[in-house]
Amino acid sequence: MVSTSAFQIDLPQALIERVRRGDAIAFEQVYRCFERPLYTLALRMLGDAEAARDTLHDAMLKAYQRANQFRGDAPFWAWLRQIALNEALMRLRVGERFMVSMESAGLDADAFADDAPAPWAHADSAALEHALAQLPAITRSVLWLYHVEGYTHPEIAAAMRKTTSFSKSQLARGIARLRAILDPETPEPEAEVESCPLPTT
Amino acid sequence: MSAADNLTLGEALRRLPQAAPPGDEWTLLRERLRPASARPSALRRYALPAALAAALAGAFVILRPAPAPAPATVAHVEASSSTNGTATAQIHNAQNAANHDERLAQLQQHSQALERWLRETGRDASPLQGQDLAAAAEIENLIGLVDVELAAPRQTRAPALWQRRVGLLEDLAALRYSSYRLAAGSQLTASTRID
Repeated sequence: MVSTSAFQIDLPQALIERVRRGDAIAFEQVYRCFERPLYTLALRMLGDAEAARDTLHDAMLKAYQRANQFRGDAPFWAWLRQIALNEALMRLRVGERFMVSMESAGLDADAFADDAPAPWAHADSAALEHALAQLPAITRSVLWLYHVEGYTHPEIAAAMRKTTSFSKSQLARGIARLRAILDPETPEPEAEVESCPLPTT
Repeated sequence: MSAADNLTLGEALRRLPQAAPPGDEWTLLRERLRPASARPSALRRYALPAALAAALAGAFVILRPAPAPAPATVAHVEASSSTNGTATAQIHNAQNAANHDERLAQLQQHSQALERWLRETGRDASPLQGQDLAAAAEIENLIGLVDVELAAPRQTRAPALWQRRVGLLEDLAALRYSSYRLAAGSQLTASTRID
């Protein structure tokens, strides 16, 4: 799928080289470029401003400390985003925010498609933000990673140490719930909820 | 139907304004920055090198890794004889390409074998605790970063990246092996206990 993630900022090679050498002044430029994309990703996944702020700090700190390991084979933004994703997922695990809907067999993203205009097409930002905030953290994270950051289901599954079908079902569940929240006329599929912590190793 | 009716969920989500942290976070972060070389890495901090080395030896026995390949030779062109030199260079290049492919295949096979072993032993191993858990999480994160670089199309055949991936998987295998061995030992103790 085509991704237009806000992370996709290409930095000059000279700047990256300076960061790799531990130049804090150069790193400030990197920080300024990625502060908002990183904080936004963390906030969408965690749903908590304080946790998002901590994620921003820790991810940036790790990026600075590990910059000399970056080989330049992938774009810097993708490398930094992976650090941010790892940090956010770690917080989700630690904070036991992995209250997730049970997987539903055969449930996929098309299960709730119909010809009517999607309710998010006419929802304003506040309504959409409000609806997002009502999703379980893991469901919202999958939704965001897939639709906004452009991760594939196998990539999401690998990052979360889950199966691809888990990612697909969470996405379908998230879309269905968003529809139901934004358009109360839409019937929402029943979802059993259970505590499903990720394996930690 | 208007254009807005066709707005996909992804488009709608991407239209949301980006969030910004409340204060000047850079000033706070700057205080925490230190030269990378001055900080011990998390691996060095957590990995208990002696235990890792011992456990890694055990893991190698189980995993039966492929024999170490000969280092790739650097192609050199004998410029003194244009005809022979070109032929020699072509032979060397072909050999280098073959060595490169062979080495890459070995690294990828080794990586797959390690992942398979980690998956299989993970079911039987005791849950990691404390520093081992932190070290395992750190190693897994580093593997994720290597995978990001491997995902770049032009680098999928880079032996250096695959070598790094294998090295990290070996570190993880060493940690897991300790846990696996402990779990196996406790099962053995329980099954042979005489009440």
